[in-house]
Amino acid sequence: MCPLIPNGIISSGWDFVIAIILGMAFGFILEASGFSSARNIVGVFYGYNFVVLRVFFTALIVAMVGLLYFDYFGWLDLSKIFILPTYLTPMIIGGVVMGVGFIMGGFCPGTSFTAVAIGKIDGIVFTIGLYFGIFIFSEAFPLFGDFYTSGDLGNVTITDATGIPASWVAMGFTVVALAAFWGTMFVEKRVRKNMTEYKF
Amino acid sequence: MDRNYIYLTILMLVLAIGTLLVNNEPKLKQIEPQQLLLEMVQPTRYVTTDQIAKMIIHGDPSLELVDVRSADEFEQFALPRSVNIPLDSLINSSSLGYFGIPGTKVVFVSNDDIAADQAWVLTKRLGFKGTYVMRGGLNCWMETIINPQEPSEGSPNTAYETYAFRKGAQQYFTGAKAEVAEGSKVKVEVQRRKKTSAVAGGC
Amino acid sequence: MNKELATNKEPKYINPYLGGVLLGLLVLITVLITGRGLGASGAIKSTVVATAHVFSPEQVKSNAYMGKFISDDHSPMYTWLVFETIGIFLGGLLSGVVFGRVKKFRTDHSPRITSRTRLIFALIGGMLFGIGSQFGRGCTSGAALSGTATFALGGVVVMFAIFGTGYAVAYFFRKLWI
Repeated sequence: MCPLIPNGIISSGWDFVIAIILGMAFGFILEASGFSSARNIVGVFYGYNFVVLRVFFTALIVAMVGLLYFDYFGWLDLSKIFILPTYLTPMIIGGVVMGVGFIMGGFCPGTSFTAVAIGKIDGIVFTIGLYFGIFIFSEAFPLFGDFYTSGDLGNVTITDATGIPASWVAMGFTVVALAAFWGTMFVEKRVRKNMTEYKF
Repeated sequence: MDRNYIYLTILMLVLAIGTLLVNNEPKLKQIEPQQLLLEMVQPTRYVTTDQIAKMIIHGDPSLELVDVRSADEFEQFALPRSVNIPLDSLINSSSLGYFGIPGTKVVFVSNDDIAADQAWVLTKRLGFKGTYVMRGGLNCWMETIINPQEPSEGSPNTAYETYAFRKGAQQYFTGAKAEVAEGSKVKVEVQRRKKTSAVAGGC
Repeated sequence: MNKELATNKEPKYINPYLGGVLLGLLVLITVLITGRGLGASGAIKSTVVATAHVFSPEQVKSNAYMGKFISDDHSPMYTWLVFETIGIFLGGLLSGVVFGRVKKFRTDHSPRITSRTRLIFALIGGMLFGIGSQFGRGCTSGAALSGTATFALGGVVVMFAIFGTGYAVAYFFRKLWI
């Protein structure tokens, strides 16, 4: 049955209406969880606020486990969903660059939009930075065009690459995430004792 | 507060363990019953013995004859280039590799067309495309190709054309059969489908 | 820590696990409806292509990267992710209004640095994130979250690269935040 749009159950004319509705839900959840403040987000790297880890990993395991159940009951055709293509080296480099950008800027693109929405100047500046970053990338593209498409593994899943069944992958992520939730609770308590200027 | 978190942790773990239990067996893809019925009532799955004879004579590489009778019967007589997969071992994973190769036509053969039809329904149910049934089975093959009847006088021209073709085919098959019996048994080269992963990319 | 101050000024954020479950369900619903996950950086890319197209259409068409996103029948802004991003903005605004966080323009930063330092680093961080997201085929929402949730290998790679690097370099930028 699902996915609905690729299977033609919802006509693609509704695409953009659905996009706005889903986007609104996304923005609302991000802002309501406190992602419109860069200091909340970056807290995950210094141990004083693990809201990113909690929201991100809870979302990840809920979505993973949910997809498996939908697949099992036959409501979703897993072969029809989009699998992000893997370009190994460019993705590692890109992730490293994003990681540095994350620490310096304190946002990621999605959260910076919500920061703009509630009037954070740092969010606006970060978004402008994103714009220039992508512009620089496009202009300089001929310099590293070959690198950009190197390490192409195609649209592979974790199961294709490692042979671990999807349900074990979900299980692994769930166990690690739950352990992290309990562990970080204690880390956060200890770190927060020493901080005075930050309002939680 | 902490107690609620303990409950939630356990709930999430149970849900994740649940996926291990339910998703362990890779499911065989099946088609909807309505779709199956629709294909069953259409006669497009039938291939005549004449067409099969023509394809064998021309050496059509896309043809894949699958004989669903028992191994004993297959030993006694079989069409050239056919593979023996008895009906009871049709859905072994090793047999399934013969079906669903893009560009090949799998034609089921049995004594009549009942067993072949059953095999066809099974493969359709499993979602394979490109499977067919030889109409009338080997009985019909005997009547039409091996011992063709001369058409009665006053039959249309086409009946004579068919008869001429069948006479030729008769020579081809009865003659060719004798050669095979003399010579060493030639191993039939069979195409097998490559194992594909369940999740392919793209949308 | 001053208890009274903390309770008075405590921002009314929802429980992170509730937020996580909602976000997970949202990713699930998005995959069920559209067959692909959420994203964010793609909209900025479309904006870059669209604005560059307005100023110098010829150069965009000849650009090896931007040329891929130009088509004659519709504007580069007419994509799913752009509309989704408008939604993110509206949703953020809605949440800000509901929880009383929409105020006059402001910058939040560690008391040890000035707003100006914060903004300079935000700009550099944004640029790096923009460049990185093109190599990574998506940012934290598109690649790391939606990619990993759909069991894509690339999603896991990007996720570990981002967070791993974050922890590795966090020490050097600690003044910015604590």
